[in-house]
Amino acid sequence: MRVSWSNLLVYRVNFILQGIAPLFVFLVVKLSLWYKIFESSPQAQVGGYHFEEMAAYHLWILIASLLIFNGNSQRISEDIRLGRITSYLIYPFQLWEFHAASFLARSWFQLFIALGTLFGAWALLGGRLALPSPAALLAGLGLALLGGLFWFWVNFMVGLVGFWLEETWTLMVMLQIVTYFLSGAIIPLELYPDWMQTLLSFTPFPYIAYWPARLFMGHLDQVGWVFGALAFWVVVMALAAWWTWRAGMRLYTAAGM
Amino acid sequence: MWARLKHYGSVYSSFVSTSFSEAMSFRTHFLLLMFMDIVFYTSHLWSVDIVYDNVELIGPWRREQLLFFASVMLAINQLTMSLVSENYWRFPLAIRTGEFDFTLVKPINSVFLTFFRVVRPGSIANLIYTGPAVVYFGLQVGLEPLDWALLPPLIFAGFLLQNSIEMMISCGMFWMIDGSGVNFIRIELQQLARWPDFVYPRYLRGLLMWVLPILLTGSAPVRFIFDRADRTPLIVMLFAIPLFWALTAYFWQRGLKAYESASS
Amino acid sequence: MIVARGLCKQFKIHQKKPGFSGALQSFFNRQYETKSAVEGFDFEAHPGEVIGLLGPNGAGKTTLMKMFTGIIVPSSGQLEVLGYTPHQRAREFRKQIALVMGQKSQLWWDLPALDSFLLLQKYYEIPKAAFERRLDDLAELLGVKRLMQVHVRKLSLGERMKLELMSSLLHEPKLIFLDEPTIGLDLTAQRNIRQFLKSYQKEKGCTLILTSHYMADVEALCERLVLILGGQKRFDDSLHRFETILGSEKMVAYEFDRPVDRQDPFFLQFSPQWNENSTRVELNIPEAQLRELGQIILRDYPVVDFHTEKLPIERVMQQLLDRPELL
Repeated sequence: MRVSWSNLLVYRVNFILQGIAPLFVFLVVKLSLWYKIFESSPQAQVGGYHFEEMAAYHLWILIASLLIFNGNSQRISEDIRLGRITSYLIYPFQLWEFHAASFLARSWFQLFIALGTLFGAWALLGGRLALPSPAALLAGLGLALLGGLFWFWVNFMVGLVGFWLEETWTLMVMLQIVTYFLSGAIIPLELYPDWMQTLLSFTPFPYIAYWPARLFMGHLDQVGWVFGALAFWVVVMALAAWWTWRAGMRLYTAAGM
Repeated sequence: MWARLKHYGSVYSSFVSTSFSEAMSFRTHFLLLMFMDIVFYTSHLWSVDIVYDNVELIGPWRREQLLFFASVMLAINQLTMSLVSENYWRFPLAIRTGEFDFTLVKPINSVFLTFFRVVRPGSIANLIYTGPAVVYFGLQVGLEPLDWALLPPLIFAGFLLQNSIEMMISCGMFWMIDGSGVNFIRIELQQLARWPDFVYPRYLRGLLMWVLPILLTGSAPVRFIFDRADRTPLIVMLFAIPLFWALTAYFWQRGLKAYESASS
Repeated sequence: MIVARGLCKQFKIHQKKPGFSGALQSFFNRQYETKSAVEGFDFEAHPGEVIGLLGPNGAGKTTLMKMFTGIIVPSSGQLEVLGYTPHQRAREFRKQIALVMGQKSQLWWDLPALDSFLLLQKYYEIPKAAFERRLDDLAELLGVKRLMQVHVRKLSLGERMKLELMSSLLHEPKLIFLDEPTIGLDLTAQRNIRQFLKSYQKEKGCTLILTSHYMADVEALCERLVLILGGQKRFDDSLHRFETILGSEKMVAYEFDRPVDRQDPFFLQFSPQWNENSTRVELNIPEAQLRELGQIILRDYPVVDFHTEKLPIERVMQQLLDRPELL
C-alpha cells in the first residue's frame, strides 16, 4: 500500500495533474452548475439548450479540449532562457521540428485519453448520451485536432517571446483564460450577447472549442466553412510564429548569448 | 513571546521589502502578472453575468448575490496570490535543487520561512480591482453597516482557511521528486470553491464541506452575511482553521523526517 | 564540539531502467533498494580544529555533513553537536552553525547580495553595529566591497562564492561546514578562498569541517584528515601521518629522449605512471633506496631530466582507493 502510494505520487503524475485533471474538474463544476440551474424547471431551455444538451455540450468540450490544449510553451521558453537553444542550432533538425514531434506524441496520448473518456461516459450514461453519427464524430475529432495545431503554433509563438522576456508563463496563462472565455469552453456562445457573438465570429476563438462541440453534436450544416476558417487561422498563426522565430534569432545571434 | 513576535515581525517586513526590490527588477513581468490577474477576475465575473442574462436564479441566488459571492471569493484569492502563492511554487523547486537545506539551518521556523518568504507586489496592487468590486456588489445586495464591519475579518478568515488547507496539501511535496504538480491540486480546489456550495451535488458537497472543507472559504462568510441564522458553516470554518494548521504542522514534521535532500 | 558514535544512515532508492518501458515499469511497479550511505561512524571534533572529510563521490561525505547540521535524521547511532541533537534543530544550535555548499546558493538570485545579508541580519538577530562592522571586515578581507551592490545573477562563480561565504559568516558561527567550497572555481579563485578561510579561522578560532575534491584545499587548510570509503571511516589522523601511510616513499619523475618499454619489469615494482608516448614516467621510490635506484636509472635509461617531490595526496588517495587493504 505504502509503495503503491508513492508510486502514484511520482513526478510523472505532474503531467496528469497539470494537463488532464483540470479539464475534468472543470467539467464537474460546469455540470453541477447547470444541473442546479435546470433543477427547478427541467423542461426549460436556456439559449436553446435543454439540460441534456447542455451536459452533452460540456462533455464534448472536454473531449475537444483534451485534443486542443496540450501545448508546452514553457519548454520553449526554458530552452531559450537556459541557452539550450544553441544546441538545437547544431542538431540536424530545427527547434520547431523537435517541438512539433513532441506535440504529436502528446496528441496521440491525449487522443487515447479522449476516446477512453468518451467510452467511459457512454458506458456510464447509457442511452442518455446521444452518440454522434460517424460523420459527426470524424468531423469533430478532425476539427479538434486542427484546433490543436492552431494552439500548438500559439504556444510556440508565446514560447518564443522568451527571446525578449524572462518569463512567458504569465502570457500563456492569460491567453488560456481569454481563450477559455471566448471560445465557448465555459458557456455556449449562444448565451453571449449578440454583439459579442458577431465580434467573435471574426476571431479564431469559436473554432477551437465551440465549433468542435457543435460538430460532435451533429450540427454539420456549416462544416466546410468552419474547417476553412480554422485552417486559415492556423496558417496565420504559423506565419506569425515563423516571423517571431526569425526576429528572435536575429536578436539571439546578435547578442551572442 | 512578545520578543519572538517582534522578531518575526521584523523578519516579515524584510521579506516584503526584498520581494518589492526583486519584483522591481523585472518590470515587464511585474506588469504582466498584474494584468493576468485582472484578466482572470474580469473573465470570471463576466461569465457569471452572462449566465444570468439567460436565467433568473441559480439555486436560491439572484445575479447580485452570486456576483457579490464571486467578488468576495476573488478577494480571498487575491490575498492568497499576493501573500502566499509564489511560495507554493518555489517550495518544490527548493526541494529539488536541495536549496531547502539552507532553510533548515536558519534559526527561523521553517514553515514560516518556506510559505511566507515571497510576496507578489503586483498582486497586492490589484486591491484596486477586487476592493471596489466587493464594495460595488456589496452595495447592490444592500449590505447593512454591521455586514460591512464583518466583511473584512470574514474575508481574512476565508484566506486563513484556504491557506491552512493548501499548506497541508503542499506538505505532500516532501515525498516527491518534483512536487510542482501538487500545485495544480491546489488550483483545482480553488476552482471548485469559486462557486457557492449549493451548486454541487450532495455527496461532493458533503465531502468539500466537511472533509476537505474548501467550499467553506467563500460560502461560509457570504451565507452568514446574507442570513445571520445560517451560521453552521461559519462555526465549522472557525474550527477547521486551527485543525488544518495543526495538520500542517504534523505533516511538516513528518515531511522533514522524510526529506532526504537531493543528496550530493 | 562534535561527538558521533556508531552513526548510520540508510537511504531507499528506486531503480529505473532506461527508456519508455523502463518509465512505464517504474510507474507501476517500483523497485526499491536500501543503500547504506554511512555506516558505524565514530567521530570527534574539538574546538578550533580544521578537519577535512575526504573520499570519492558517493562515499557519504555530504550525508555526514547533513546529519551534523540537522538536515537529515540519522537512521541509528548517537550524535551530539555543540551539545545539541542536531535534527531537533534547536534555535540556539542553528544560530551557532553555518553551512556553505559550493553547488548551491543561499543568496537571492535576482537581488544584490547586500539585500540577502540584511535578511540574514534579521534571521540571526545580529545587532546593527556588530553587523555593519562584520560586513566591513569581511568585505575588506574578501575584496568584495563593490560586488555587494550587484545583482547576484550577474556575478562570476568566484565572486558569488566569496559572497556566499560572507553570508555564512555574518553571524560568527562557532562551527562551519563547508561542502566543496571551491568546486568549479579557477585556480586563482580557489587560492583566494583558501587563504581567506585560513586567516579567518586563525583569527576567530572557529571549527571548520570541510569536504573537497581538491587536495590542495585539504593540504592548505586541514591539520586533520578523515577518509571515508563506502560510508565507513577508514582513516582519521593528521595530514602528516596520511602522507607517510604508504611508507616513506618519494615520487620521482623521469623524462627520456625516446620511448621506453612500459613492460620493463624494473619499473613495474614502483607503480609507474606513464605519459602517452612512454617518454615520461612517475615512480614511487622508497626513500632508503633513492640513491641506489637513481643511479641505476640514470645509467641504464636515456634520461634527459628528472625531479623528485613529496608524494602528493592525490596519488596517496589514488593508491588507497585502488588498494584499500593498505589502511
